[in-house]
Formats: sequence, structure tokens, C-alpha cells
Amino acid sequence: MKYWPTRVVSILAGLGACFLISAAADASGNDYTKRLVVLAGVWVILSVSLNLINGITGQFSIGHAAFWQVGAYSAGIISVQHYANSGITGLPWLLLMMVAGAIFAALAGLVVGLPSLRLRGDYLAIVTLGFGEIIRIIVQNQKPLGEAYGMNVSPKFQFTWLVWLTAFAAIAICRNLLKSAHGLPFLAVREDEVAASAMGVNVTRVKVTAFLIGSALAGVAGALFAHYEGFISPQQFRMEQSFIILTMVVLGGTGSITGSVLAAAALFYLPEKLRDMGPVTGGQLMAGAFATVLAVYLVKRVIDHFHGTKKEAAIRHLGIVLGCMALSFVLSIVLNQVPVLANARYEAEKLRMVIFSGVLIILMLVRPQGLLGHAEFSWEWLKRVLGQRRSEAAQTS
Amino acid sequence: MLELNNATIKFGGLVAVNDVSFAVSKGDLFGLIGPNGAGKTTCFNLITGVYKPTSGSIKFKGRELSGTPSNKVAQLGIARTFQNIRLFRALSVLENVVVAAFLRHRVGLASAIADLPNSIRETQELKDQAMALLEVLHLDKVAHTRSCDLPYGMQRRLEIARAMATQPELLLLDEPAAGMNPQESDDLLRVVRQIRDQFNMTVLLIEHDMRFVMNLCEKIVVLDHGCEIAQGPPEAIRSNPKVIEAYLGEPV
Ligand SMILES: Nc1ncnc2c1ncn2[C@@H]1O[C@H](COP(=O)(O)OP(=O)(O)O)[C@@H](O)[C@H]1O
Ligand SMILES: [Mg+2]
Repeated sequence: MKYWPTRVVSILAGLGACFLISAAADASGNDYTKRLVVLAGVWVILSVSLNLINGITGQFSIGHAAFWQVGAYSAGIISVQHYANSGITGLPWLLLMMVAGAIFAALAGLVVGLPSLRLRGDYLAIVTLGFGEIIRIIVQNQKPLGEAYGMNVSPKFQFTWLVWLTAFAAIAICRNLLKSAHGLPFLAVREDEVAASAMGVNVTRVKVTAFLIGSALAGVAGALFAHYEGFISPQQFRMEQSFIILTMVVLGGTGSITGSVLAAAALFYLPEKLRDMGPVTGGQLMAGAFATVLAVYLVKRVIDHFHGTKKEAAIRHLGIVLGCMALSFVLSIVLNQVPVLANARYEAEKLRMVIFSGVLIILMLVRPQGLLGHAEFSWEWLKRVLGQRRSEAAQTS
Repeated sequence: MLELNNATIKFGGLVAVNDVSFAVSKGDLFGLIGPNGAGKTTCFNLITGVYKPTSGSIKFKGRELSGTPSNKVAQLGIARTFQNIRLFRALSVLENVVVAAFLRHRVGLASAIADLPNSIRETQELKDQAMALLEVLHLDKVAHTRSCDLPYGMQRRLEIARAMATQPELLLLDEPAAGMNPQESDDLLRVVRQIRDQFNMTVLLIEHDMRFVMNLCEKIVVLDHGCEIAQGPPEAIRSNPKVIEAYLGEPV
């Protein structure tokens, strides 16, 4: 294969995409939109990096926000205290801070990961959960870190393209790893530690490597986040955030990079949409829940049918999904005739965690491997799908 | 090549392997038999570092193995299959074998992450190696199938292909013919001979199917309740009264 041409083209395409995203965000002329674009990039980095630990290597880390926080605070405090007399300005300084964020987060990862990853079992879950709380308490008791109020980070650096370039880099790291034989031991550890070890895989080393890369990437996301926002507080890294990152990975399909990216984008925008939606009544809420459960179940059936041959059945199920949507709309009107339900008002934004938990529960019931399972987007896949269409068309004509 | 000297392991009060000694020489087709629960699999677990013997020693090419972690044992040149199949289920047949072949990799992780040419080349080499092994075990046609979707007999053969991919000097097979029909088991017999003659691997195998063992192995050790009750060539084992008793009169 032509190595260098494809390499150069894909790197240029990646850079081009970053600048396009950045230009589009700037063109909106709206600070709120621009911030959303940047934060989406940050969440993509977080979910892709957690996917490396949880999805690809099969270790259950549930406190990823803690490493994000370590990166944000370490880069933030270094900027505050040393930027003025460093003699370095602009982009190089930010790059330096990204490296600092990565190093500190990776060090934290080493401290947390090394003892617990040597053992088999779910120690990592407990330890990472505890670590999140420890970091929060440490930050809340440090004057220079602004305690519970938060800390101003100056100077601010608002490079939208850099955030997305980092996101692309994170995706590339995982993809390249899985493409090469080097990624297989990671997957083997996820599948069966005893067998992996018998085949010569150093299980502890593989787990720690995944954990370090994952933590370091979260640290980079932290450094970018801190310098973009110009203000960070422990509130922004609370346990709920770890839970959201985890939901993204699980929802996308544990192990699927594509899934992590898509789920990160979707779950990041969902709450933003909810914020715009205003309060809902009890009736609407119940009807909505009903519709979601049914829709998810049926979408699963539809997906399964697309794997098989019965296309008509798939279309029928699609029809049922639309029918359910209409039914739930009617249901909401009916339910709202009940005064108790009609008078209850719920802020949609406050329901965020309820919705996330609901999504997770439904997912575990109908599709435990996540929406994409282990599937990945690839050009071969696209070609295969398009090729299939064409050959089907040729057959029917 | 492999030497067990008074190897013993206790699980609480149970002595699963009791004072077992035998020696496998280079080029042997060596059988390890005994009734269910005799401690055969546990012997494999001792050799491959899953457990550490309570007492006694296990030497491989003169080097003490006990206490060596599993992955180190594999690097030293001992590979095994599992009685209760332990494939990497979500991975393809080819990927299962590449994981094992990866043991002999040279290119670093950084090159892989940067997708450098040397990493791409090595990945291709490992895949080619793996593919060649799959051909030997007649699995090349299903190379891209998910391993858990294979029928049982093929999964057993894949276990062998995967173990061979680590390029071991000593191959441990734990009931390779279990659950196979006579036809499959005859094929397997040929494959195991081929492994020894063509790939120059020494084979130590556990097997329940007496016909299989007696046909194949040149030396046999018999365990019962963790103790070694007989050792010798198939003819001697067949007529040994202790062995007949242990197998409760089953024709041996
Ligand atoms: N990890 C363990 N803990 C406790 N007992 C064990 C363990 N592994 C094996 N045993 C016991 O050791 C005995 C021998 O088992 P095994 O080696 O699997 O027998 P087999 O000869 O059928 O392969 C059995 O009684 C089994 O229950
Ligand atoms: Mg056994």
C-alpha cells in the first residue's frame, strides 16, 4: 500500500476538519455556540480515552472525571503562578500545559492504577471512585486552588481547532492501536486474563499501559478545558460527570471508538437541548418514558432485522416505532386530563440524571453490548455497505 | 526437558497433586491420564505458573519454573490449551492466533500508536504466520469468523493453533479430543503427530479417550487422587493392575 500518500492525505484531512469545525464555530458569531463546540470536543476526548480503559481493555474505571480534574488544576495552577515570568507565550505555552496536564494525570493514574490493576477483580472501580472524592476534597482545602469556590485560570486560550485536533489525536491513537497487532493483547485481556497470560501477555503491564494513556488523555482534556473556560471549580468535576463519561462509553458500545464519539456528541447535546425545553408536565413525562422504552426496544428489533434478510419486517418495525411516537403524544394529552399529572411541573434539565440512568437501564436490558457493540466505522465497511446496495440493485434489475 | 520432582499442591485440606515426579524429554509424545479429578489439569496449572507448588520443584531446560508468572512461562517456550475452552471470544479466529504470535514481537508500542511502517509490516508478518498455522489446522477458511461462533471441534483446534503460535518447545494439550466425534479425533491424531514431527515440538497431553492416548503416546503417566500410580509405555500401562483398578474395570 502507498504508505506516505495516504498518511499525508489523512493528516491533512484531519487538520482541515479541525479548522472547518473551528471556522464554523467562529462564523456562528455566538459565544454560546462556540463554547458548545469546544466542550463537545472535550467530551469526545474524555469518552474516547475512557473507552480505551473500559471498552478496549475491559477494566472498570468509574472515576474518569478525577483525571480530567487533575489535568485541569495542575495545568491551571502552573499557568497562574508561572506564566508571567516564563517568557513563553501563546500556543507554545498551552502545548506545554497540555503536556503538564497529561503528566500529572498519568502520575495520578499510576498511583491509583498500579496497586489495583495487579489484582484480578473489580478493585479498580472502588479505587477510582474513592480517588475522585479524594481529589475533590484536596482541591476544596487548598487556598491556591480556590477551595470550593473555584479558581480563575489566566491567561485564557480559546483555540477551538486545538481541542478538536486533540480529539482527533485521541481517536487516532486508539484506532492505530487496534489496527496493529499491538492492540490485540489489550482486547485479549478484556476477553480472558488467564488465557491472555498463558499466551505470553503481561496482563498487568497491558492494563497499566491502557490506564496511563487513558488518564493522560483526560489530563490533556483538563488542561484545554481550564484554559478555555478561564475558570474551574470542583463542581465541574463532580462524580456525576464521571458517570456521564461512563454512560457515553457504555451507550456507544464498549470497545467501539466510533460509538464513544457518537455517544459523547449525543449525550453532550441532549442536556443542552433539555435546557432549552422548559418544564414538562407529569403526563408528558410518563408518555415520554413510555415512548422511549418502546422505541428503544423496537429499534433493537429493527437493527437485528437489518442483519438478517427480512427487510419488510424491518420496515414494519420502523412503522411501529413511528406509531408509538404518535401514540405517546395522544397518551400525553390523555394523561394530562388527570389534574395531579397535569399540574406537576418538572424542569427538563433537572431530569438529566434520571434520563441518563433510564437510558442505561434500558440499554442493559435490550442491548448489553451497547448501540454499536464492537463495530467500528471504517472505509472498508462503507465500501462494503455501498457495494452491497449496488449488487442488490443489480440483482433486482 | 521438563522435569517434575515431588511436585505437590494443596488447596486447603485437599491435596490435588501429591508428590508427582516425571520427566519429559525432547521430542516425546507424552501422555498424562487418570480418572476425573485426578489432578491432571492442576499439573498443567502448576507447570504454566497459574499456581505455585506447595512443595517440590518443576524444572524446564534446567531452569526452576515454580513461582514464574504464566506469561514468563510462555516466553520460555511452554504453551498450553485449556480443557474448558478459553478463547478470546469476541475476537476473530485469526486475531486469536495473532495474540499468541505477538509474543515474539519486536516493534514498540509507540510505533504502533503512530502507525509507522515498521509496525504495519510486523502486523502483516504476524498475520501471515498466524494464517499459515490456521492452514495446518484446517481453520484458514474461517479465519475471519468470530471465535465464539465456531462449532465445538473447531474451537478445540483453534486452541491448539493459538498455543502453537507462541512457537513453544513444549506444547501442553488438555483433553484436545474431548467432545470430538471419531472422525475428528482421528484427524487430530494426525495433527498432533505432525506437530511433533514437522514443528519439532514436544507434546505433553491429557486425554480421556484411551484409544487416542494408547495410539499416540510413547510414554504415559497415570494419576489417581493426585498420586502418581504408574508410569511407562502404553503396553505396560494397559496391563497394570493399579491402573485397571483406578479406572474401575473400564477396558484400557
Ligand atoms: N483452584 C482450586 N481450588 C480448590 N480445589 C481445586 C482447584 N483446582 C482444582 N481443584 C481440585 O483439585 C482436584 C483435581 O482437579 P483437576 O486437576 O481439574 O482434575 P482433572 O484430573 O480432572 O483435570 C479436583 O478435586 C478439584 O476440585
Ligand atoms: Mg482436567
